[in-house]
Order: sequence, then C-alpha cells, then structure tokens
Amino acid sequence: MLLLCALGLAVCGCGAPAAREDAAGRAGLAFEEALATGDHARACALLAPSTREQLEQDEQESCTRALPAEELPRAVGLRGVEAYGRQALVRMSGDTLFLSLFTGGWKVVAAGCTPQPDQPYRCLVKGT
Amino acid sequence: MSDGRERRGSFWRDNSLTLAFGAAFLVTLACQAIAGHAEFNEQLTVDGLQPLGFADYVTSSDFAVDVTENWQSEFLQFFLYVFGTVYLVQRGSPESKKVHRAGPESEEEQWMGDHSRADSPRWAGTKDWRQTLYARSLGIVMGSLFVLSWLAQSITGTAAYNGQQLRRLEDPVSWSGYLATPNFWDRTLQNWQSELLAVAAMVVLSIYLRQRGSPESKPVGAAHTATGVEG
Repeated sequence: MLLLCALGLAVCGCGAPAAREDAAGRAGLAFEEALATGDHARACALLAPSTREQLEQDEQESCTRALPAEELPRAVGLRGVEAYGRQALVRMSGDTLFLSLFTGGWKVVAAGCTPQPDQPYRCLVKGT
Repeated sequence: MSDGRERRGSFWRDNSLTLAFGAAFLVTLACQAIAGHAEFNEQLTVDGLQPLGFADYVTSSDFAVDVTENWQSEFLQFFLYVFGTVYLVQRGSPESKKVHRAGPESEEEQWMGDHSRADSPRWAGTKDWRQTLYARSLGIVMGSLFVLSWLAQSITGTAAYNGQQLRRLEDPVSWSGYLATPNFWDRTLQNWQSELLAVAAMVVLSIYLRQRGSPESKPVGAAHTATGVEG
C-alpha cells in the first residue's frame, strides 16, 4: 500500500502538472512583456527577491534603473516550459528564463540565459 | 515463528514482531521527513529560494526519492536472500539450510502435491500452475516490490534531480537520461553495498556467535559446525 502511494506520488506529485507549467509560462511572458513595454517596475516585481537584491548590489542602483542597463534580449513567443517541483525553465524565442515558485507566484530567478556546453547557463541577470 | 498448533494468545502478543517493527517504521519515517524537510529548506535558503512547507515537502520528489532508494535495496536484499538461499549454503550458519539440501528440494521435503498436509495452504496441494506460482510466491513478491520501488526511485529521482538542475541553472534530463547519471547509480549502489554487507556479516557471524532465544541464531550450545539449526 505504501509502495503504491509512493508510485502514485511519483506519477502525480513529482511530475509537472500542466497547470504548474502554464503558470510558470504566463509569469515568463509577463516578465518579457513588462521589459518590452518599458514597465520596469513590473519586471522588477516579477524577479525573485535574491535576484533583485543581487542586481541592485552589483549595479549599486535600484532595480528599475539597473534592469534596463542589463540589455536583456527581447523575447516573443513561448517555445516550451519544463517544471519540476517549484523550479521551472521557460524557453522563449530570444531568451531563456529560470523561475521558482514563491508565495506570490512564479518569479524569475535568472534571465538572459544562454546555454554553455557542459556548464550551467550563462545568465545576464541571476541571484546568488 | 508461530505454528498453527500453538495456543493463541492476545492479538498484541501474537503479532508483536510485526506491530513493533511496523510502528517503528512509521516513527522513523516521520523523523526522516522532519530531518529531510529541515535539510532541504537549508539548501533552498542558501540558494535564495522560498522554503517549502512540511506538507509540500512530504509530497515532493525530493522526499520520495530519499524514501524509495532505501526501500528498493531492502526488498532487493530480501529477494536475493530468499532466492539465493535456495541454491547457496554456508556451513555452520543458521541462515543457511543444510549443505546437502541445496536446490529447490523434492515435493516430499517441501510438503507439496501428494505430500501436502491437512493444514497446508490449499495451493500447495495442487499439481498445476497454482502450485508452481505458490511455491515461488515469496520470491516473486519480494522481487516485484524491488522492481516497483526501484522504478519509483528512478521516477522520483528524475524529478528531484531536475529540480536541482534548474536551481543550478542547468538543463533538466529525461528519465532515460537520468538512469545514466552518477546521481542515480550513487543512490542505488550505496544502498546495495550496505545491504549485501549486512547479509554477508549475518551469515558469517551467526556461525560463531549466539543470541539466546532468537530464531535468527543457533541455540547457544549448538556446535559451530551445525548448519540450518535455529534457536
């Protein structure tokens, strides 16, 4: 019985229900839309706290001033979302974002990310 | 173990071994969940991410993989022990049958078919597939539980590993890709080696050492050379 519960959890609880992926994708799109429209206050509100703090610390400016200076690539369509637990990878045409789930919803942990062979993504904006 | 001819005592006394180990299992599992939750949240805090609530943790792949990686090795241990001791023997060990009885043994020795007794399980007295199946049921169930729990480890392990990959800003992997990672084999083999060591130690130590009153030991006065004798 316990093993069946574990298998059930494995199949139902540990994968990526569509609702979770949809929510992560919507947060990614909202972040890119805020950047595209110059709404940096909204874009900063969609950053994870540690990412926002790191950006402000690195640039010695408020997030709304520092974020435009990072010249993040412009992204348009959603190409795919993969979510595992409370982490998600959102691939868009033009950019790749890493997100994490917080009480206030999905937040961007890293943006402007490009893959590196056998290395973590190199990201223009990221947390600690 | 109890035999049908023994006079029955209270439910608690008659089942104390199962009840004690079952309760200890649940308490230990709860303690593992508490410790695992604290450790996982420490890591999330270091990564600047939001800690998980207890209910979220115990339904997460991270907790599930930690549980199932141990379950699979325990069921593997008992499957190998049940199946291996049909053919393999250790002279002097109460964990082994007598050396000359290695193999599946005759129907007479196993009380099967025409040799079944009045109180034998019904399928033991049959001569068709039911006897074949029942005669291997313990090994089949242990083997199946091992395969299922190893499968659960691989699925929950994939999700947990991918959560970690995303926290490190790396690409997630597929289930088959996860099976080729060092993470999967490290989790698997570290448990297998400990189970195999424990079995080998028990087989050898029980030749020379005794535990008065335990059916896992020979009687205290039994000779070191006595094989297949339980106290």
